[in-house]
Amino acid sequence: MASEFTVEPGAHVSVRKVPHMSWRRVLASSFRGFDPRREIHNPMMFCVYLLFLFLIVLTLAPWAFPDIARTYNPDYYLAVTVILFLTLWFANLSDALAEAQGKAQADSLREIQSGILARQVRPDGSLAWVASDILRVGDTVEVRPGEPIPIDGDVVHGAALIDESMMTGESDAVTRESGGDKTSVLGGTRVLQGTIRVRVTTEKGESFLDRMIRLVEGQGRDRTPNELALGVLLYAFTISLFAVIVTFIFLADFTDIIYIDIATIVALFVCLMPTTIGALLPAIGISGVNRVARANVIAKSGKAVEAAGDLDVLILDKTGTITVGNRLAVQLVTAPEVPMAELLDAALLCSSLDDTPEGRSIVRLVARRGTQPRRLEPGTFKVLPFTAERRMSGIVLADGREVFKGSLQAMETYGAILPLELRRKATEASRQGMTPLAIASGRRALGLVYFKDVVKPGIKDRLRELKTMGIRTIMCTGDNRLTAAAIAQESGVDDYVAEAKPEAKLVLIQREKAQGRLVAMTGDGTNDAPALARADVGLAMNSGTSAAKEAGNMVDLDSDPTKLIEIVSIGKQLLITRGGLTTFSITNDVAKYFAIIPAVFIAAGAGTLPGIALLNLLGLSNPDLAVLSALVFNAVIIPLLIPMALYGVPFRPRNAIDLLRRNLLLYGFGGLLSAFVGIKLIYILLSWMEALPWVQHLGLVVSHLLPLGGL
Amino acid sequence: MAFEVQSLWDVLVVMGLALAIAPWFGSYLGRVYMDRPVFGDAFWNPIESVVYRLLGTSPRHQMRAREYMLALLLVNGGVLVILFFWFFFQSTTPLNPLGIPNMGWDLAFHSASSFTTNTNFTHFTNESQLSLGSLMVAWPLALFLSPATGLAVLAAMVRGFVRKDGTLGNFYVDMTRSVTRLLLPLAVLGALVFVLLGVPETLSASVLAHPLTGGTQTIYLGPVASFQSISLLGSNGGGFYSANMASPIANPTALTNLWGIGLMLVFPFSAPFAFGEIVRRKNEAWPYVGTIVIVLAVALALFIGFQAATNPALSTVAGLGAQTNGYPVGIDTRFSLSEGSTFQVVSVYCNVGANNLQIGSISPIAQLDLLFGMFTQSTPGGVGTGFAMLLLFAILGIFVAGLMVGRTPEYLGKKIHTSHVKWAAMALIIHPATILLPFVIAVAGNFVVVDGSTIGATSHNFTSVLYEFTSESANNGSALSTGAFNDQTLFFNVAGALVMLVGRFVPILAMLMVADIFSTQEVLPAGVGTLKTASGTFTIYLTLFLIIVTALLFLPVMAMGPLAQIFGGM
Repeated sequence: MASEFTVEPGAHVSVRKVPHMSWRRVLASSFRGFDPRREIHNPMMFCVYLLFLFLIVLTLAPWAFPDIARTYNPDYYLAVTVILFLTLWFANLSDALAEAQGKAQADSLREIQSGILARQVRPDGSLAWVASDILRVGDTVEVRPGEPIPIDGDVVHGAALIDESMMTGESDAVTRESGGDKTSVLGGTRVLQGTIRVRVTTEKGESFLDRMIRLVEGQGRDRTPNELALGVLLYAFTISLFAVIVTFIFLADFTDIIYIDIATIVALFVCLMPTTIGALLPAIGISGVNRVARANVIAKSGKAVEAAGDLDVLILDKTGTITVGNRLAVQLVTAPEVPMAELLDAALLCSSLDDTPEGRSIVRLVARRGTQPRRLEPGTFKVLPFTAERRMSGIVLADGREVFKGSLQAMETYGAILPLELRRKATEASRQGMTPLAIASGRRALGLVYFKDVVKPGIKDRLRELKTMGIRTIMCTGDNRLTAAAIAQESGVDDYVAEAKPEAKLVLIQREKAQGRLVAMTGDGTNDAPALARADVGLAMNSGTSAAKEAGNMVDLDSDPTKLIEIVSIGKQLLITRGGLTTFSITNDVAKYFAIIPAVFIAAGAGTLPGIALLNLLGLSNPDLAVLSALVFNAVIIPLLIPMALYGVPFRPRNAIDLLRRNLLLYGFGGLLSAFVGIKLIYILLSWMEALPWVQHLGLVVSHLLPLGGL
Repeated sequence: MAFEVQSLWDVLVVMGLALAIAPWFGSYLGRVYMDRPVFGDAFWNPIESVVYRLLGTSPRHQMRAREYMLALLLVNGGVLVILFFWFFFQSTTPLNPLGIPNMGWDLAFHSASSFTTNTNFTHFTNESQLSLGSLMVAWPLALFLSPATGLAVLAAMVRGFVRKDGTLGNFYVDMTRSVTRLLLPLAVLGALVFVLLGVPETLSASVLAHPLTGGTQTIYLGPVASFQSISLLGSNGGGFYSANMASPIANPTALTNLWGIGLMLVFPFSAPFAFGEIVRRKNEAWPYVGTIVIVLAVALALFIGFQAATNPALSTVAGLGAQTNGYPVGIDTRFSLSEGSTFQVVSVYCNVGANNLQIGSISPIAQLDLLFGMFTQSTPGGVGTGFAMLLLFAILGIFVAGLMVGRTPEYLGKKIHTSHVKWAAMALIIHPATILLPFVIAVAGNFVVVDGSTIGATSHNFTSVLYEFTSESANNGSALSTGAFNDQTLFFNVAGALVMLVGRFVPILAMLMVADIFSTQEVLPAGVGTLKTASGTFTIYLTLFLIIVTALLFLPVMAMGPLAQIFGGM
């Protein structure tokens, strides 16, 4: 069915606002995080929380613990307590920021949806205004120009130009019409032209908008398999360190071997725990989903995003993904003994009323050769549109003259006579990746027009990146083998399936999955639905049918198939961020040993022994300040790494071993170095501050006020 | 004792030879467990099928993890019970010409657990508390069956990587083949060489010697050579004599000392290659070989270096002057510094636990060095289980490294999930738990008694108790020093026995459970996006991961014992 109107670029208005984040809300939420019921969700930080509470009591009332608080020192205890508070607060802050990012996005989405009224079509055909909330699956509503579409559905009657910018941020309006593959509309989008009837396909609360809101808000966010496994590893660490430290306190106290201050032991424990990754782990998970949402993709689960990082095979449609989508006429070849002028004329005749991109490109090609379109009087001709069965299109003039263009095969079936020379040329053209169409007048073939697929600019580089990451790409196309091979060669795709029938993708996916590979594909038609459902990552196009969107586990609102490549990067980034920060956290610890362990011995009076100097690499002579420096570093590294957790680590496609080498150097060695430098700098700063008069006054005040009730 | 470079050569040659035959022997080992044709099939197959029939099993019967674990517990439980009753009724058992009395129930329990778990930590004195029958019949039963169990666990665990049907093998078949194809022939070879080199092998219980100093001396004898051979080969570490390999009868010459080093290294060095053979990717052995060699080399260098260094405590004593000969106390001067040290380091790092010097009097850093080997338990660790432990470390390491390359971590084409991490982490944390918990109880309950009074507040005593439980938890068997405190008590017998049993069978359970999960997974094809584990980068990564994680978990404790001793002078 032809559209009732033309699509004019820029026929719409607003672009979705950049979500605004409320700092007050972030702050409030970060303090609410101190609620033990919230802290307990992160076992590692909960341990820090317990120690923090214990230290508060100990700082305020040391007389209650005569055994433990033998070396009680009010300013030192207070300092450790405050730094623990900051550590916890920074951890909460990262969660709050990640959540706020999502919430802000959700709010701007909610605005779109609020209070839409719908014109429901009653069974008797009459119309009535109802609140969109009460619409059920199967109801039909009518939407007129200027009105918002109340809920997700399929167009069952009419066609319309629709502004989806509020959902997708895409400024070009899109066409939706009944029948075919472009029937689905989204709730919250606005009709610009045309009146349509829409059958509701989702209940309130289940629409894409609702899903997107829930997702970015982090509600019901399932922790992904890798996040769970990393969590287990970190908890195992925490549990054993906790046990080690508790026995350490106990043994130190009992054996009197070496007296270590309780606040120092708490500091040692907090420093040795991988608190950096522990604090940032939830934020990384939330932000992964957010990043996908910012790329205008709705992921139905966080799992799907993570799976994207694991993909082995991408199945790409040739048209629209690898090539610009439209084949363009590039050359005209005459049949033997046919003048070029006749061919040009015929080409123009059969194409000037053909509004397909192919048709238009023929007109442009002919025009370039100087022949201008002839004006045809209305009623003097009949257009024969292209149909799948006939695989030809053409025009019948009033004088009975018929001009057709179509594939050579179709021409033959029709009965046209194709000279051998023409067939040879056609085969030659196919071999070069072009698609030859024959143009015939009646049953006489006049010549060929060659169409060529134009490979998208930049796609070659992206395919090469994928190859570096170890992902194989398979192009799926209905074209013949020769055309497919030529495009495959030009674009650098690894493999191709030519003359693909609609079920080819499903077969391909099953074949790859049987070999244990993780497969992704894009699709938009109802035909694609089974394959989308079967794929590990099925990215449905927003412009596609509801069936396709239901089947896939992600929907791209921009309907850009190349976004699959971007999603792979986001998935990988998500995992690398987790792994990198874990490594960073662990190598940080090594540096912290060298700050705290010598401090422990210096405090115990062993500072003069030569071994200590060997261990005290950083030259931290004041043991209290050394411990505080390590603890401060441990705390401030969390907010410093929040951006990395929220936006992901920089990622450039490489092969695995290069990536490991680079990330080990960056996060492993970097973690070691930054902690050494950071702790030393903080130590210098603290030493300087300690000498400031007002700090000393403050220390005196603290010593007088604490402990409550006297020691 | 001063360090001489030339005396390092002989130990390096022996270690080099052990490493050189490892690819060949490891491949043989792997083929034995995968039932691939090997040398000796014609001889052993008929004998083994008789054994299978006697045991009422068949190689066709393949067990899943649960059944395998139960069979393992049944056999090991059987050994435990037999040994317990043998020692409990020792005075009435056969072959007791010297009339050695019964053991108390707690000592019998400790000893039986110790031998069954491949620990061989002894709370008794062989010469006065062990009959010849115990030494020739009861104990050797465990000397063979406990390393056989370790090898079976290794075989079962590695099979998990290559199978998809959920089975891990047949425990009884694995045990049988461990003994017939590996332990028995090698033990015989080991014993023959020991005899050639002058170690006694006799059935007479003692001879009377007339030393130059006058009087007479009873020298206890027996099948010393064959006992020491299987003891060292199977990472048991029990000594025919209480002095073990420090006894001049069990270890008379530098050559027997070197042969002992070689025997201890045979299985640990070969295990990675057996793994490579079983998974049919020989290159995958190298990261493990690399890790083991690096850690062992560093351990050895530190040990020798600090043993040769000046004792800072002595140099501060007025009038003593500069002290230049390292830590000579408790060292067998028949061996050079490198020979003695190498034996000790290899013995502890391979979880053998046989001593040829007095650990209590060596440098504290050297003590720390030995403790570290027991903390990792996997560089290279005991027969079978040591490498299995290293695999668990590797799984955790690969998990973190895998994340860093942006893919769900996988190893040998099998994805690593939460459940793998859970079991591997459990095997990792059970170790500090079984060391620290009894330690706290021992201290809290005033169970540590030195010379009739409760523990003095010295870090040396701290280290002694720490060493005891660490050695038991790691199923090592070496002791810091006999007599540092009295461990032949009800508490240390029972606690020690429990620590050894938990330290042995919980990690084994974890190994089999990890294998169980792997054994049902499909093998995924590898691509350039997959982390390549057979690479230098991964080898270095694994080494550092292992060292840092171990240090993280144990540093506070190390600080209180050996480190306090070094820095605190306390």
